[in-house]
Amino acid sequence: MPIERIHFWGVGAVPLFYVLAALSIVAFAVGVYLRVSVWLSARGSHKLRIGPAGVAKLLADGLFGRRIFQGDFTAGVMHLLIMWGFAGLFVGTVLSTVDHWIVHYLTGQTYRVFSLCMEVFGLMLAAGLLLALVRRYVVRVRRLDNQPRDLWILVLLAAAVVTGFFVEATRLAVEVPRLAGEAPAWESSSFGGLGLSHLLSSAGEAEAIYPYLWWLHAVICLGLVGYFPFSKLFHAIAAPVNIVVAGPAARPAQAAGGLPESDETGTEEDEVAAAPRFAFADMLAFSACTRCGRCEQVCPSASAGEPFSPRDFIVQADSYVRAAGASRAYAGARAKLLRRGSAAADLALGAAPAAAPRPSPEQIWYCTTCRACLEVCPVYVGAYQPIGRVRVAEIEDGSRVAPLLVTALETLYRFGNPWEPSKRKRGEWPAGLDVPDLTAGAEAGLCYWVGCTTSFDTRAQKLARAFVRILQYAGVPFGTLGQKETCCGDIARRVGEFGLFEEGVEKTSGLLEKYGVTDLVTSSPHCFNLIKNEYPPANGPLASSALASGAPAQSGAPAQGGAPAAGDGDGESRSPLRVRHYTQVLEQLAAEGKLSATPDGRSMPQSSPRVVTFHDPCYLGRYNGIYEAPRAVIRSLEGARLVEMPRSRADSLCCGGGGGRLWQELEGEKKLGEVRVREAAATGADTVVTACPYCLIMLEDAVKTADLEGTLRVMDLNELVAESLGLVPEEE
Amino acid sequence: MTPLDIVVCVKNVPFTQDVDLVVDASGRDVRKDNLVYVVNEWDNYAVEEAVRLKEENGGTVTAVTVGGEDDEEVLRRCLAMGADEAVRIEPGNLRPDGFVTAALLAAAIAPLQHDLVLSGVQSDDLNQGVVGGLLAERLGLPHASVVDSLTVGDTGADLRIELEGGQEEVCRVPLPALLSIQTGINEPRYVSIMGIRKAAKKEIRVIEAGSLGLAPAELEPALIVEGLYLPPEAEGAAMLQGDPAALAEQIVRIMREKGVCNA
Repeated sequence: MPIERIHFWGVGAVPLFYVLAALSIVAFAVGVYLRVSVWLSARGSHKLRIGPAGVAKLLADGLFGRRIFQGDFTAGVMHLLIMWGFAGLFVGTVLSTVDHWIVHYLTGQTYRVFSLCMEVFGLMLAAGLLLALVRRYVVRVRRLDNQPRDLWILVLLAAAVVTGFFVEATRLAVEVPRLAGEAPAWESSSFGGLGLSHLLSSAGEAEAIYPYLWWLHAVICLGLVGYFPFSKLFHAIAAPVNIVVAGPAARPAQAAGGLPESDETGTEEDEVAAAPRFAFADMLAFSACTRCGRCEQVCPSASAGEPFSPRDFIVQADSYVRAAGASRAYAGARAKLLRRGSAAADLALGAAPAAAPRPSPEQIWYCTTCRACLEVCPVYVGAYQPIGRVRVAEIEDGSRVAPLLVTALETLYRFGNPWEPSKRKRGEWPAGLDVPDLTAGAEAGLCYWVGCTTSFDTRAQKLARAFVRILQYAGVPFGTLGQKETCCGDIARRVGEFGLFEEGVEKTSGLLEKYGVTDLVTSSPHCFNLIKNEYPPANGPLASSALASGAPAQSGAPAQGGAPAAGDGDGESRSPLRVRHYTQVLEQLAAEGKLSATPDGRSMPQSSPRVVTFHDPCYLGRYNGIYEAPRAVIRSLEGARLVEMPRSRADSLCCGGGGGRLWQELEGEKKLGEVRVREAAATGADTVVTACPYCLIMLEDAVKTADLEGTLRVMDLNELVAESLGLVPEEE
Repeated sequence: MTPLDIVVCVKNVPFTQDVDLVVDASGRDVRKDNLVYVVNEWDNYAVEEAVRLKEENGGTVTAVTVGGEDDEEVLRRCLAMGADEAVRIEPGNLRPDGFVTAALLAAAIAPLQHDLVLSGVQSDDLNQGVVGGLLAERLGLPHASVVDSLTVGDTGADLRIELEGGQEEVCRVPLPALLSIQTGINEPRYVSIMGIRKAAKKEIRVIEAGSLGLAPAELEPALIVEGLYLPPEAEGAAMLQGDPAALAEQIVRIMREKGVCNA
């Protein structure tokens, strides 16, 4: 008698099994349908843009869970064991079904290999589940917020594995003695079950309990199938989709919030809606989230103890859209039944599902849009994008906008900057410096886009003055747009004031075109990012259509998250307008030797070398992949030695100035900037250098409140370069 | 709660904060051609209060202004905030002071359904604070000014009125009534550009001043400006120097000497 796969061995009512299986598959299908219908309820485009990069990510991050290993190796091992164990057993069940119904091939050697594989997958799953239980309930990994549903799903899976092994053991307890001698040592491929089978005292006992164990195992497994789309296991479907789709290459023009694609014209026509309109991509991201809490750990706001949580926001938004979807489905089903005259419609459907509260409006203003959450998320979910959508709704509603932000936006609307009710004062920062005005007929290849904050804030003005001195020193012809310069629209964009953003884009594009600007350099990484990555293509349609369709353009943006950035983010955009951040210009000047301290043989007054650490601005680094340029400039300076903070480059900790936070009165235990300057001071550096006016202001402020004045100096990269060149230091 | 029909009077005024004002050639006014116009601050609070009352009780809000076509901007803003209708009274060649403005407003508001008429306490440009009182007189309504809290009940409106020295007067007026609203009564909502763009599609009703049936005498300004000049620079400013602690002491001493504080 050959060894072979045995099906339904002595379990009685096989038809009952098929009824239950059909039920669980129906539940699975209904669940998946409900989840997907929520995705499809998103306004705007439902297109999935799948490129080779997305597929590569799917292989690395999906099949091998690459990003799960990052920063938490055990978690990666745990996930790999559970995922592959689960998948292997699922495939095994399918193969077994084929054996039963189509071709009986699980015999002899094939069957032995099959058994061995099943054994290994089962043990992998068991080990993974054990690891998960230990991490959650023994070690208590801090970022995991254990909820009953987390325990429940682990227990269900564990029950499936344990009963599975016992079913096998009881079968072997009967089979091994019966087949002894016929197929030598065949049973050793089922080593797990074989071991357990020794616990049973006799074959008779085993045969007696086998049917009960079999049915228990079957019911648990079928239950899992039906429960799958309603539980967090659904991430096994949603996460791969999100991994393929997520990323700036696939989601341009809406990088940090804004309206769902192709939606701008809609909002003008539609009723004022205070409810957030999430995009298709947001819905996918909500479903992909497994509440692993990594975003929580890296979020500058949450980690500083502010009452904000990117994870909770995602969870809340997910239940909000699902409740909305469910009540839509409920309304649909109810209407259908009522049409058919069933008086019992309500009885059948029960009460309408309670609508989940929409994501709390107070929380959304804490987000700095620093993108750190996206950077660490194993499945590429960034809270800042859907938060941008809620901000749009809040701005539209208007009644809960912070008074400070109201004033800033009204000033921005009337005077083209959020700082001062004056257009004229924009031109005052270069007092005493000879800065050519391109709007007054000056000609220069390079247009310096100073930006609002750098023009108006007295601290930030110094970075512009230093940059001007460096350009003059290096002999680079340049000019500015003087007091005609206006806000590029970034602030409006980040806080969700879409109309004002569009106005900024139109005015700025008009200015650049009018004065024939083709080479632009900005003070701020924020202006740089917006103009480079979020402006419609030059000469292309403005505002609605181009912004909405999100022309895949423009994006010299880096590969998302952990993927290495292409070059230094200086990819050529298709527009004839070349946009650079000043760090890139300095890098080029340094490479050309134009920042050497002694071009004319002057000896420079050299103080003792500074120990310098560089704070990566979010919109320079994470958003645009520019990490090397500022460091190359620092290294080129004779008087500076560069040391790194523990959190640098893609892991940089935000100063707290982005995302419109400068105009919020937010409550928190400690200032975000203080966390950062303490980290900078701990490196032993005497100077923290940055390359963004917001960072400069925030860190300067934090040094004072953290009592580090005199210990740590905050400088802009321009100031450091100007100082090392011996260019007239700024008077304090 | 019974629905309320509310009329709010609003004015478009030049924004003068941080602006160096220049007296114009006539010597009786300032140059306004390069000034940015905004909603009068007090009126903004009045509109917000009206819209909140409507959101609570139901009813309608109608915004009324006296001004030219450019001033419709302020009405669009009101519509974006939640007003249902907007009326502009075109003054033509008139030069409305507070008295003429009150006459025009009264003639336009009288035929409108009004349970409550709201105005700002004063306007940021003329600062006379007379329109509210004059308008109440012409409409025959009870009037309260400097209202910084307002609750409407079935028997009338409960008010708090800001008095000198931080004191408050609490009173009740029957409706209909005219109330002049003080800043700080609420936190006016933000009005988005999208909101204003949407409001631009709503119709604004224009009434010619001449069609209101007012006697020519009522359309003559009662207050005639003879001349305007910038205040001469005066003495009395002192620059203090020293470290922050010493500075603080100096400031406290001066404040004590001048009787600003007793501590």
